[in-house]
Amino acid sequence: MAGLGPSFGRGAMTNHFSDFKNADVIWAMGSNNAENHPVSMAWVQEARAKGGKYIVCDPRFTRSAALADIYAPLRSGTDIAFFGGLMKYIIDNELWQKEYVENYTNATFLVNPDFAFDDATGLFSGWDEDTNSYGTSDTWKYQIDSEEPWDISETGPFAWTQAPGVPAFAPKVNAIAKKDPTMQDPDCVWQLMKKHYERYTPEMVSKVTGCPEDKLLEVYEVFASTGAPERSGTILYAMGQTQHTYGSQNVRAMAMIQLLLGNVGVAGGGINALRGEANVQGSTDMGVLFHIIPGYMPTPVATKHANLTAWIEAETPAASYWTNRPKFMVSYLKELYGDFATLENDYAFDMLPKLDGTNHSHIAVFEAINNDIIKGVMCWGQNPAVGGPNSVFEREMLGKLDWLVAVDLWETETASFWKAPGVDPSAIQTEVFMLPAACHYEKQGTVSNSGRWIQWRYKAVEPPGEALDDLEMIHELYHKLKEMYEADGGANPEQITKLNWPYETDGKADITKVAHALNGYTIATGELLPNFPALKADGTTACGCWIYSGYYNNNDAKDDPSQQPTGSRGKDDPGGLGLYPKWAFSWPVNRRIVYNRASADVNGKPWNPERMLVEWDGTQWQRNDVPDFGFQVVAPDGTITPTPPGKTAFIMNPEGTGRFFAIGTGMKDGPFPEHYEPFETPARNLFNGRQNNPALTFGSAESVKPSDPEKYPIVCTTYRVTEHWQTGGLTRNIPWLAEAMPAMFVEMSEELATEKGIANKDRVKVFNERGSIEMYAIVTPRFKPFDIDGQTVHQVGMPWHWGYGSGHATGAIANDITPNVGDANTSIPEYKAFLVNVEKV
Amino acid sequence: MAENAILYDASKCSACKGCQVQCKQWNMMPSSLGKDENEFTGSYQSMPDLNGDTRLLIEFREEAKANGIEWAFSRRACFHCAEPTCMEVCPAGAISKLDDGTVKLDNTKCVGCKYCTAACPFEVPKYREAFNVSNKCTLCDDRVAQGREPACVQTCPAAALTFGPREDMLAAAKTRLDELKAEGFDKAELYGETEMGGMHSLFIAPFGLEAHGLVRDPKKPDAIALFALIKPLTGIAAAAVFGGLGLSFLTGIGYSRDEITLDSASAHDDAKEEN
Repeated sequence: MAGLGPSFGRGAMTNHFSDFKNADVIWAMGSNNAENHPVSMAWVQEARAKGGKYIVCDPRFTRSAALADIYAPLRSGTDIAFFGGLMKYIIDNELWQKEYVENYTNATFLVNPDFAFDDATGLFSGWDEDTNSYGTSDTWKYQIDSEEPWDISETGPFAWTQAPGVPAFAPKVNAIAKKDPTMQDPDCVWQLMKKHYERYTPEMVSKVTGCPEDKLLEVYEVFASTGAPERSGTILYAMGQTQHTYGSQNVRAMAMIQLLLGNVGVAGGGINALRGEANVQGSTDMGVLFHIIPGYMPTPVATKHANLTAWIEAETPAASYWTNRPKFMVSYLKELYGDFATLENDYAFDMLPKLDGTNHSHIAVFEAINNDIIKGVMCWGQNPAVGGPNSVFEREMLGKLDWLVAVDLWETETASFWKAPGVDPSAIQTEVFMLPAACHYEKQGTVSNSGRWIQWRYKAVEPPGEALDDLEMIHELYHKLKEMYEADGGANPEQITKLNWPYETDGKADITKVAHALNGYTIATGELLPNFPALKADGTTACGCWIYSGYYNNNDAKDDPSQQPTGSRGKDDPGGLGLYPKWAFSWPVNRRIVYNRASADVNGKPWNPERMLVEWDGTQWQRNDVPDFGFQVVAPDGTITPTPPGKTAFIMNPEGTGRFFAIGTGMKDGPFPEHYEPFETPARNLFNGRQNNPALTFGSAESVKPSDPEKYPIVCTTYRVTEHWQTGGLTRNIPWLAEAMPAMFVEMSEELATEKGIANKDRVKVFNERGSIEMYAIVTPRFKPFDIDGQTVHQVGMPWHWGYGSGHATGAIANDITPNVGDANTSIPEYKAFLVNVEKV
Repeated sequence: MAENAILYDASKCSACKGCQVQCKQWNMMPSSLGKDENEFTGSYQSMPDLNGDTRLLIEFREEAKANGIEWAFSRRACFHCAEPTCMEVCPAGAISKLDDGTVKLDNTKCVGCKYCTAACPFEVPKYREAFNVSNKCTLCDDRVAQGREPACVQTCPAAALTFGPREDMLAAAKTRLDELKAEGFDKAELYGETEMGGMHSLFIAPFGLEAHGLVRDPKKPDAIALFALIKPLTGIAAAAVFGGLGLSFLTGIGYSRDEITLDSASAHDDAKEEN
């Protein structure tokens, strides 16, 4: 997701599963969608039935590959080489969609002339060896043409900033970039991009990826065909793209390809992140990541944001829809602290937890335990003892804690880490609490799927025994903490004691009250707001997560989710494009395909009339979807004036365009994706002089124990199978699913098996410096050795669903040997490419 | 009543096993409740074959060919033959043909003699030890009677399984076969149109019958004619009387599973009478 935001402005799946049917070409790259999202195949097959092509690229021949029109192999971790080659192919063969690129992207923008990339060092301009970072990336910026200060006059668009109650902050000045519409200036993004990917020839890409050149070109040719204006192609990706030390750049590369081909904002197009968990979209919407608070707003940093004014001034851009950020922030603070939040006390901004400027991602948490900073952990529906990278180390760290609370449906390996094989329970002092949780059928609330649809689900049965709904647990915990702070005081007690907590009815936690908070309401009346345009920065509205506003806005049935947009189950599909506007609510404002202005040309005519999302008919916008641009102005008296077609197709980006060049600090490791080798690799980086991503995180942590390619020459990757889910905590406890895939295995080629004297079904060990694990071997032609620059490179792969704990199927933990190194932007661990060796037991 | 059929299109199947698990769930067929009691098959296939508690199994076969890997998925379950040999040999009258072509095994009548397994050219019915009965797909006749699809069909996410009047399924299968040939699946075949008198579970095999483990030109075992003679005499007593004959028939066609003895057949006989 961290690659999508800096490209398009929002870090979310652009389209939806049911939209795949509209595609001319569907490309699964870093996604094994038939395996992990089997339902997605319904729409893939629908597209194929209409003549669509389905391409699968993967290091191994997967269940998706079995159904593909084209399958192309590539070595794990070489996606950017593959994508870079495609960009060069599209540019060289003039297959890009010209009108789209010229008008809806930053191709014409001029960049600071000091920007450079040096392939001898593999570094972009601005690298600082001392801080190991690009710092403020000063050269990754546009040349400025003119400056437009905000119009804060009474009739101006920023009049709201002067209203009583709005925190004081300096109005912004919008810097307009210089452009060259001919795209000939050597400093324009187009020329820089062209130059950057010059090195990515099919020969080089083939040498690095191991994908035969003819296969490579076959994929390029078919996917590049969607550059024709009336054609659309979609890319499906998942953790195969993200779980690399340059995972965010993998996603950026896809975003650039889709902009080149004019595939963003159109039906059957987009970049579709198939999320790995039913509600992971909802989780990130709610800000469970350390660097964001709900609604994708930056978490305050102590050194940067001394007060609310500082936060607003630093984090509000001068243009784009994000200029409304002060409204979202003040409304958020009003929800959190209610009456306690006033203009005078900075709307209780001081109560918000602040970051200390250091990384607090998953890997960092365990490093912090190692450094005696973290003493207690709550693992809420998470099983790091199986799912974390270098899980041997993570289990060891759990043993350093004073206390651990594990909230789950079963006793997971995390809850039982102290009785793992080889562990002496008497040597572990950690006090472990296990809280049994209700499962999804035993509680109600919303789940937000990959396509941003927020769907209400109802409780079917009561949870068994002492199991509780998560909200009930939090509710109880809150009241207990409040009681203790009130009685005993403590550091900054008001953070808890002053919290606004009206989420109950008759003393019992009530999730519909949480829904009111997330949707937002007028404080004086309690009236639910129709949508986020109604939010104010003057303290009169409250909203827990601005992007959700509108999902629960029916004031006539506040207690009844079925009468709310999120509970709506209408099956109408005007336009026949699978948008289903009345099925649940899709954030933002029930838009099904974001950036849909780009589905039509500059005059508002759809590139493909069969796939019309919006169309300017000369007097107004006809629409099958909610427009993602200013399409009309509603005067205070209700008069509607349609807005004729403009070129702003990406309203969340200040410049209004999609970005080939990621400006400023949007990406921490370069404005253009560049190939680096995985942290552990048997190959030399042939594209530039830097072996690994210079900005990767945790590479020097002692716990990582890098594996030397001389001793461990085999590339290994991890993945999931249809039959199981995540760490298997759920599925290994369901006898039917345990039976469906009963044992842990490693898959390898016949060639490697012969070399190692291994037969199918043999017990083998897979090992590196971090650990050694034992499992069955599957010897299969679906794995093939790669020819990497004339050298044979073997690859093996393992699923990661097994553990020693509860359930009907136990087995080795794959993550015992995965590296705890992270992506430069997100610190997601590099689960997908590392080194091992294999031996028959 | 029109004849119904399931159409399984292996070219659309992703082998997710949703059908396999849903079959167990709807029909209340258990899996092991112990720890690590399931056998590892050496592939993605859950178990080596159908068993007493498993009526539907997704099978995996793979072969490297010059133009790539052929990973052939197969749905293994009863084909519901128009001329079901299992029915012909059943001494207890437990197997019957419904109007829509479904071959139904009534486990309240089954005596667990395993003749059906032996007589089936596909060895589909399996012995269910805990209940001493044979077990196989019933085409979810309980659901179909209520106007619903079989459980496996309903659960298939990718429309690889469809269900309806056999004529329609056949027509759809033939259209699909043409599409596959046009796409380059030269070896694609339809299975079940004429085999065993015409089946009620049709199978589109994109890589050809053998690649999907399908028996080409299945035949009734020769001794069936003999059993036809027994038929009028069927009933539990007849099973006991002609048990010896049955055994020689089974041996004749190479049946080599758990031995059936006259004693075991009689034991059933006794148990039945006590009830």
